[in-house]
Amino acid sequence: MDELELLKKDWKKNEDTKYPKLSYNEIYKMILKKSSSIVKWIFIISLLEFGLWTAISFAFKNTEYNKRFESYHAENIMIPLLVLGYIILAYFFYKFYMNYRTISATDSAKVLMENILKTRRTVKQYVGFNLIYLALSAFVALGVQFDRDQEMISLIEKASANGEVFKFYALTIIITLVFLAVLIAIILGFYYLIYGILLKRLNRNYKELKKLEV
Amino acid sequence: MNKELEHNFIEELEKNQNIVHKVCRIYTNNQEAHNDLFQEITIQLWKAYPKFRGDSKFSTWMYRVGLNTAITLYRKRKRSIKTEEFDAFQYKISSEPYDDTEEEQLKLLYKAVHQLNDIEKALVFLYLEDKNYKEISETIGISEVNARVKMNRVKTKLKTILNP
Repeated sequence: MDELELLKKDWKKNEDTKYPKLSYNEIYKMILKKSSSIVKWIFIISLLEFGLWTAISFAFKNTEYNKRFESYHAENIMIPLLVLGYIILAYFFYKFYMNYRTISATDSAKVLMENILKTRRTVKQYVGFNLIYLALSAFVALGVQFDRDQEMISLIEKASANGEVFKFYALTIIITLVFLAVLIAIILGFYYLIYGILLKRLNRNYKELKKLEV
Repeated sequence: MNKELEHNFIEELEKNQNIVHKVCRIYTNNQEAHNDLFQEITIQLWKAYPKFRGDSKFSTWMYRVGLNTAITLYRKRKRSIKTEEFDAFQYKISSEPYDDTEEEQLKLLYKAVHQLNDIEKALVFLYLEDKNYKEISETIGISEVNARVKMNRVKTKLKTILNP
């Protein structure tokens, strides 16, 4: 006899009695509990991230460094950069929400997984944007400092008096680059850890489904 | 209104809860995991219920949400899974007389099914539930032809696991 037929026979045997019977109240209690689904966690983590970036930008608002920066009167450069940043952040916020809304368990497994992976793509783009924005801001700020910071200008003058202008610029830029690289590596590692854990099994299943298509 | 929705939902689920138990039986191999998955499926069903328009039967819709949850939405808790655990799993044993060899063979069969991946488990489950290939293809999201081909491969794979 075919193995699966044997299994089917057993599967159907005493179907009504072999499983536990939960009462109305037990089911009622269950729907009050919180879901631990992958999608929910992706959404929550992206919200936390969004909050984190905003918090960091506010934390820098009143620091000594920021006050000094304000004295450069570089608003015409920094404000458009800031506005652009917030517009793009708002766009991502909207996309995260829409992704979350469109994911419903009622589609077929494949459509559902595609939707989850789409959410993941949005997260990736979001991460990419944040990192690029971070790098861009760092260099714009550096440029402004070269141009307007009194301390920096006097350092440059001292360096040029010694004939070391090039060395000075190169050194500053390299230090900034190294600092940025370390920061980006930390952030990337963090993302990789969180989303990697959440999406590992899902990716495996998606690949399996993809294989069925061939 | 909301209370009424809740009441209808719980009554329907209470009536059809076997479907969820059966999904759990295929995807888990101990009581704790079974209860865990049962709860997650119940939550997902409840969340999706407002969108359930009655285009299909409640039970058909349950198959879909249940499997989707098991395949994609559910976060499996990290734990080492021992195949022996399944033997200890307390399902009410039939009172009918059975012969030992068949019983032994069934045990091995369930063990083999648990070694399949999530997608293959879904195929086996729908097959055991007497779903036709059209229903299988709709639930998983692949073509009917592919469902048929894959089902045959799963049968072969099970045979290989059983007779290495």
